[in-house]
Amino acid sequence: MILTVAGKEFKEIIRDGRIKWSAAILAIMLVAALSTAAQRFADISAERASAQEVVNAQFAAQGEKNPHAAAHYGLYAFKPVTPLSFFDTGISSYTGVSIWLEAHKKNDAEGEPARDTTAIARFGELTAAFTLQMLLPLLVILLAFPAFAGEREAGTLRQVLSMQVSPVQLLFGKALGAMAALAVFIGPILLLGLIGLLIAPGGAAYIGHGVTIVLIYTIYAMIFLFLTLAVSANLKSAQATLVAMVGFWAVSSFVLPRAASDLSRLLYPTPTAVAFDKAVEEAIQSGIDGVSPATRIQQRQEQTLALYDAESVDELPINFQGVIFDLQEKLDNEVFDKFYGDLHNIFEQQTGLHQAFSVGSPRMAVQLASMELSGTSLNHHIDFTEQAEQYRRELIEGMNRDITFNSAAGQADYRAGPELWASVDRFAYDPPPLGAILTRLGPSFMVMFLWLALSIVAGYLASRKVKVTLG
Amino acid sequence: MKGFGSVFTQEWVILKHNPAWWLSLGLLLVLTVLAALNGAARTEQLAGMGGGLNQDEMVTQNALKASVERWEANPEGNPPPAASPGALGMSVLSHYAVLPPTPLASLSIGQTDVQPTYYKVTAHPALTFLNATEIQNPLNVLAGSFDVAFVIVFLLPIFIVALMFDLMSKEKERGTLSLVAAHGVSKTAFILAKGAARALMIFVLLLAVGLAAVVITEPSLADGVLWARFGLWFVTVTLYAFFWFALALFVNALNKPSVTNGIILANLWLVFVVVIPALVNIAATTIYPAPSRVELTTEMREATEIADQEAAESREAYFFDHPELAGEDANADQFYLQVLATDSAVERAVEPLLEEFSLQAERRQGVVDLLQFVSPAIMTQNALNAISGTGSERFADFTAQVLTFHENWRGFFTNRIVKGTQMTAAEFDDIPVFAYEDWTVSDVLSGAAGPVTGLALFVLVLAVWSTRRYSSYPVV
Repeated sequence: MILTVAGKEFKEIIRDGRIKWSAAILAIMLVAALSTAAQRFADISAERASAQEVVNAQFAAQGEKNPHAAAHYGLYAFKPVTPLSFFDTGISSYTGVSIWLEAHKKNDAEGEPARDTTAIARFGELTAAFTLQMLLPLLVILLAFPAFAGEREAGTLRQVLSMQVSPVQLLFGKALGAMAALAVFIGPILLLGLIGLLIAPGGAAYIGHGVTIVLIYTIYAMIFLFLTLAVSANLKSAQATLVAMVGFWAVSSFVLPRAASDLSRLLYPTPTAVAFDKAVEEAIQSGIDGVSPATRIQQRQEQTLALYDAESVDELPINFQGVIFDLQEKLDNEVFDKFYGDLHNIFEQQTGLHQAFSVGSPRMAVQLASMELSGTSLNHHIDFTEQAEQYRRELIEGMNRDITFNSAAGQADYRAGPELWASVDRFAYDPPPLGAILTRLGPSFMVMFLWLALSIVAGYLASRKVKVTLG
Repeated sequence: MKGFGSVFTQEWVILKHNPAWWLSLGLLLVLTVLAALNGAARTEQLAGMGGGLNQDEMVTQNALKASVERWEANPEGNPPPAASPGALGMSVLSHYAVLPPTPLASLSIGQTDVQPTYYKVTAHPALTFLNATEIQNPLNVLAGSFDVAFVIVFLLPIFIVALMFDLMSKEKERGTLSLVAAHGVSKTAFILAKGAARALMIFVLLLAVGLAAVVITEPSLADGVLWARFGLWFVTVTLYAFFWFALALFVNALNKPSVTNGIILANLWLVFVVVIPALVNIAATTIYPAPSRVELTTEMREATEIADQEAAESREAYFFDHPELAGEDANADQFYLQVLATDSAVERAVEPLLEEFSLQAERRQGVVDLLQFVSPAIMTQNALNAISGTGSERFADFTAQVLTFHENWRGFFTNRIVKGTQMTAAEFDDIPVFAYEDWTVSDVLSGAAGPVTGLALFVLVLAVWSTRRYSSYPVV
């Protein structure tokens, strides 16, 4: 019986013109978004890869110089992109794309693409994810709002119910029919997207992510579908259903994310860059535990002299300047770890507030999950910056070690050559595996499944009531 | 226009006693007040930060000046490091160039969270400070701000549509339209009177909402510039509201059932507020993409390396990064002369690319300025940003002024480095200070004139066109 209802609903939707405009808008935007995504991926991935090559080559091609001068020259780490980063650009417009890795400093990522856009970009960027998050719910609402209320107004509800169709069967039949119609409208485009992902260079590794993304948006559509059906069964008129659902969609999709954003700034304020840099500088000057770097160097000198049984640093078999550089670097790193750790904690609290708000907004839950899977969430950005920082530390350590062991005590004019520059490992960002991403997604998945379960139960309960009110 | 007056009075009374209507208006008022409070908090934070930025710099500068003064009073031994213009401009001193918020800044956050509101100017190439970023969670930037402009551009139309979508269709569906027609009331007068009653209430509400927002956000209300901006703000917002009014009238004139009207208007909202802006954005960035920042980075390094190698030939590169190791007898300004050479080599190398950046940005803005006329939502947002001083143009103007200032500031020190003269204590007071030369009211007016005119045209055409259709609106 459910299938009969579904078949009839499906045919009606396909024939009926009520969603043809919304479906057309959605389809055009999806196709436009996916094709520009493919183009942008091709351009930007080539650009970043070649830039990384150039920078590596520049480092290797340095002439003879002191390794510490090479450490100052440093390297850049460029954030690599995956095909999915353009399905959902997430936060990537608002984060830098490259980090200068140099001695003594942990630099922030620079070159946010948002700097190069006009104010209009703030309305939203045309990506497939944005299109699905914004337009899919509206399409679903338009599909489903007359389900019960419309039949009631047309007088057909009584007829259908008299034909031994239970309202619950009607609910699931209509849901199934609507889902089938959606699958016909959007399925082919998403399938093409997945095929595009498969054939994109390096895309095959992300096919699991891609399939999970499709699943997430399916759940998203189902949440709005059952909610609309529930409201439709509850309210007297189709018109009231439409107004209520569009209102819910607008508030949950547009108002709540902004409210979460501003509230998180108020509740968990981040320091200004100026205050942050000043605090880091002061902590470096005075020592993180109050023991000044000069004292530390003095202590290290005494230890080293004792170790080598020497009277002065000039008698050491190593160049003590390298030890000093290395010690300074390690002391600085402790400060960076503390301050950036604190900052990331604040970010986490802020993101947690978004997560909490997603309980009231399916769109926010889906958005957080979608960014995470597309590799464009804050977590991914922090992963990248931390791996780059780890690489920086090893790079600088290597340079300082060379001074310590390969130059004479007190030798200030020591120079290393291309062998040393060439011996440095290349930076390669190692993205977290799908398993780790899915674990991170726990809260978002919970919220989505909660919404899905609640909307199905609401639909079920509301449709059961339909019978009573008619009787 | 027979019957306009009586229908208007009748509608006014009905609306006055309609709780749903008052609930909607109340909700809009509450949302606006919340948004205003939020915007005020943001602006206050920004203004507070901007004001304090140069305090530490001034303390440093005064201490340095004092050390030179002491030496001048008793010139024994070498002059203090503070007398070296190179050490001052290229190492110790910096000056924060701050963009102060304008009146009404709180009503539209605009590009404030994406574009820099201050630069830390040094005597090094501008490129070294232009890229600095403010600390913020990118997730928050992505979500955008809950400001009054958001309530106006995104939410106000939803309220208007919800209150207007069945304005005529409902009368027909209830059968009241034929009764009205039977009384000899013209259908055009009827719809205009119904619309006018609502429009008047929304007009009064917007005025109340706007005034409330100004009172909440502005510390000082006795400012002519503020009220000039507010006048422009109110005109923009009212025109935008009336655009949605006219659109609802137009859709009602199509003689469709209320539900269909609702669907059409929901889709139109989506098209104007979400779809067209996204498409215009992608059009502008595809036609005039920004040059690669990545290329800028590699270009800059290439130039640095070459200049450094040249420098290394005349001077030990090792001391470049650690002048303190060069020994007591090293001449600091000799060293900074070298830094200056490297800096200008880097600047020369990246200049064409930087020019390309600003050129493309201008062209992109040109595309958006042109394509904004496709959507009243874009026009309104642009006008509101211009009025609040938070649009792209003002930030571009700020950056341009900072670049000019940077030339002056740097010139102050580099002239002395090149001439080999030392700083006197008195000269510390001549170090340039940045003051942003803000837009005048007429600048703001010309910034907002395009979009406001566009809005007015939209309203006029829609209103006239749909009103004319009502004379032939079928009663049954």
